[in-house]
Amino acid sequence: MQDDRAPVDEELQEFAEERASLLKITLSPVIWALHFVICYGLVAVTCAKGWDIGAVRTGLMVFSVAALAAILWAGWGSWRQWNPRETGDFVNRRGRAEDRHHFLGHAAFLLSIISFLGVIFVSLPLALLGDCR
Amino acid sequence: MTRSTETTLPAAQGQYPPTEDMLSEPVPAAERAAQEARLRRAWATPRGLRYLTAVNNTEVGKWYTMTALVFMLLAGIMALIIRTQLAVPENDLVSADRFNQLFTLHGSAMMFLFAVPMFEAISILLLPGLLGARDMPFPRLSAFGYWCFLIGGVFVISSILFDVAPRAGWFMYPPLATQDEGPGSDIWLLGLSFIEVASIAAAVELIVGTLKCRPPGMRVNIMPLYAWYVLVVGGMILFAFPPLIAGDFLFELERSFDWPFFDPTRGGDPMLWQHLFWIFGHPEVYIIFLPSIAIAAMIIPTVARRPIVGYSWIVLSAVGTGFLSFGLWVHHMFTTGLPSISLGFFSAASEAVVIPTGIQIFAFLATLMVGRVKMTLPMLWIAGALAIFTMGGLTGVMLALAPFDFQAHDTYFIVAHLHYTLFGGMVFPVIAGVYYFFPFFQKKLLSERLGRWAFWLIFCGFNLTFLPMHLTGLWGMPRRVYTYPTGLGWDGLNMISTVGAFIIAAGFAVFVWDLIRPKRRQPQIPRNPWDAGTLEWTHDVPEEAWGVRSIPHVTTRYPLWDQPEMQARMDAGRYYLPDASEETRETLVTSVIDAEPIQVQRVTGPTWITLLAAGFTGGAFIFPTFSWYPAAIVSGALAVCCILYWLWTSTARPPQVDTKDAGLGLRLPTYASGPASVGWWGMWITMLGDATAFASLIFGFFFYWTSQADFPPPGSPHAEAALVALAAGCLTISWALTVGARWLNRQTRVGAARLCLILAPLAAAGGATALMSSVWPLDPTAHVYPAVLWALSIWNAVHAGAGVIMQFYCLAGSLFGKLTPRYDADIWNVSLYWHFHVLAVLVTCAVMGLAPGVF
Repeated sequence: MQDDRAPVDEELQEFAEERASLLKITLSPVIWALHFVICYGLVAVTCAKGWDIGAVRTGLMVFSVAALAAILWAGWGSWRQWNPRETGDFVNRRGRAEDRHHFLGHAAFLLSIISFLGVIFVSLPLALLGDCR
Repeated sequence: MTRSTETTLPAAQGQYPPTEDMLSEPVPAAERAAQEARLRRAWATPRGLRYLTAVNNTEVGKWYTMTALVFMLLAGIMALIIRTQLAVPENDLVSADRFNQLFTLHGSAMMFLFAVPMFEAISILLLPGLLGARDMPFPRLSAFGYWCFLIGGVFVISSILFDVAPRAGWFMYPPLATQDEGPGSDIWLLGLSFIEVASIAAAVELIVGTLKCRPPGMRVNIMPLYAWYVLVVGGMILFAFPPLIAGDFLFELERSFDWPFFDPTRGGDPMLWQHLFWIFGHPEVYIIFLPSIAIAAMIIPTVARRPIVGYSWIVLSAVGTGFLSFGLWVHHMFTTGLPSISLGFFSAASEAVVIPTGIQIFAFLATLMVGRVKMTLPMLWIAGALAIFTMGGLTGVMLALAPFDFQAHDTYFIVAHLHYTLFGGMVFPVIAGVYYFFPFFQKKLLSERLGRWAFWLIFCGFNLTFLPMHLTGLWGMPRRVYTYPTGLGWDGLNMISTVGAFIIAAGFAVFVWDLIRPKRRQPQIPRNPWDAGTLEWTHDVPEEAWGVRSIPHVTTRYPLWDQPEMQARMDAGRYYLPDASEETRETLVTSVIDAEPIQVQRVTGPTWITLLAAGFTGGAFIFPTFSWYPAAIVSGALAVCCILYWLWTSTARPPQVDTKDAGLGLRLPTYASGPASVGWWGMWITMLGDATAFASLIFGFFFYWTSQADFPPPGSPHAEAALVALAAGCLTISWALTVGARWLNRQTRVGAARLCLILAPLAAAGGATALMSSVWPLDPTAHVYPAVLWALSIWNAVHAGAGVIMQFYCLAGSLFGKLTPRYDADIWNVSLYWHFHVLAVLVTCAVMGLAPGVF
């Protein structure tokens, strides 16, 4: 999406970084969505085709742990971007570039929490239900 | 950078951000008056019959809201007939068939003709005001969308007058709907597909508007919450509506040509429709709910007289709900016999979505608790909304548990639940918004006394109607029955619900009377009657059509509270674009994240062409209902001609001058191409929706493979592999030639670029022909396998056809001086289209060519 005619200087690089961070706030929900789709899709095919549901369940639970780890990692990055402990600013309501920077970190951090919970919720059926009935 | 300088467009020059000295410098009175006169002429609303040619967001927005309101009232009247029929047992007011038509059309109209269009209508009306923009980036697209909506809506809703309305329920389940005789199902499919296209057009407009037309300085962390919701909902429309369009496409092929997509006797599967419908249908509930609750997010800070508590939390809530809402669709299908473990995923996600939804409600309550609340009329409606929505949410938590749903499925408990969520989540907040924003768009106030009457009538009537329905449902009364025997304990409850329905109707009568009663004698209203802090309340009273006098530099979330000099400076024309030097319509385009000014964008003015284009597009969708295919083809061709004329004459024309004074010492380019231009973003977003529809078709293919032991059926003929490979090759060459033409043109090698643009359509036509030939010997009515191959081929061939038209459009642009090495927006947009198309082609060819070997 970079306009390749403009000269690439420091300011532009910083801007490109922020442009990526608007997408970055959706990173954790995207991980949730992928986890959800893969769990549902794989289980549906397994049950329809009579594959080994036990193995698939185990594999998906490992996958769930991986998804949770990925969300933790994304959440940690966004916590550092928000950085409320050093700035002392929890709401970032002013119109400066650094407020926008911290705000996007804050939003991404909160979305990581909700995605983390979402992955746990969606993993529960894998743990609690054993077969395709 | 090797390119010659003459193809390089200038960048923004001058001071940004403006200094306090620049802002405090007064504007001479004479200059100010001259600027105002020029702006007024540029933005004048056409009069007389030509009023219909208006494209300004204020006019289109008013038509849109009023039309949606009328459809809502009509659907409400249908509800009253339904309730009257059910008032007493064994009633014979209407026949069973008429009753089926009534509830089908009531649901369809409320969803497709009221709830979703109302979001688009209100957003078109409000968004430029909230963002301090003159207009939306594509005003004619809004107008086109509105006319499509009007034509499609009138077509669908009037079917009941001819006793041919759809009658298979608002979700049109096959085989009931596929085998239903008469045109009812076709009216539903084609009429509503047409409106869905309009919805996607509005989504494109709103997303690009929010991303690119914010006022300078309004970074993403200070934009009004409404804009965040618009962004989320626009994104959701792009992923939710296309699966339904794909489903409609398959459904109509089955209805018209007997291709057995949903017919199990020939390998089809009715469950595919249920999946496609609810992948659309459940996010749709949130598409309706989120923008309405966004209205609450605008009203609550105003009545609490303080900034919203937890801005980031509400953003989290909107984005989080947007995502999670796509993981809920199967909770409408709990009783279809899917494995419990699959149901478990959806049950879990349905419970999880309560978390973000709850967070935003708590953020609202927190704002009210820490603020000094003034109980205005809009706040009364919001309070009612929160109460009713919470109750609907609680029954939602119950229904998300699969075992409970098994019991309550298809009973009046569901009817009660969905009305609690939709009245609380949509109707009440929207009415609150009408009271709150009426002074903004009509420059008049609504009556406090009538408003309170309407509120209490609707609030009490609503609870009287729907609270007993929970019990009616739990006592076993199924939905969609036209009558019931006495003695089952349902009689009294039904009578109470009917009485309540008429009380709701009385409340709406009061509300509508308040809206339409003449208000000429009302004195001029104050400019900011609620003492709100957001930009829309800088509007001009009495009304001016220019949107904003000058586009402010915004540095706070509530500029009217925190930037006290702003209003006077806007009025004086001290800020950006205070003038219309050529008396043409213009607005400011800014960057996506930080809203730095980057371009002065010319926006289009009044025209008949959008009306004509919508009329012909309507013909292309409506004539097939009656199997008048030649008329539909002619109408479609004329629609394409209209749209081409519209694009050619008014979009991406090379400007007379390259840069323009935007005010405050800033000179901005007047032309942009590629990712810097709004047109490119419009194309990108449109194609994202298109790709989703295509993905739904591919999903269909794999769905059949999953659900059946023998797909493709053994011994079935396949698509001709050599021709499939040829199609992939030709279309890839056409894509490469298009991208090559863009590059050569930029290198000022115009002749070579034109040659590419001559060869590219030839390659594309060859590819499309090869693709169709590869499936030609197969009989699509024999089995779902050849049918789905045919559907994929048609989808890609039609897209190749559109790609060919675009290639010729660029060639003509190059020949007639519209497209030059310097001004090349068109070919950037066309290349982008081809990127998406070639990907779809490669996926299709892989599926068609490799399926026989792999499965």
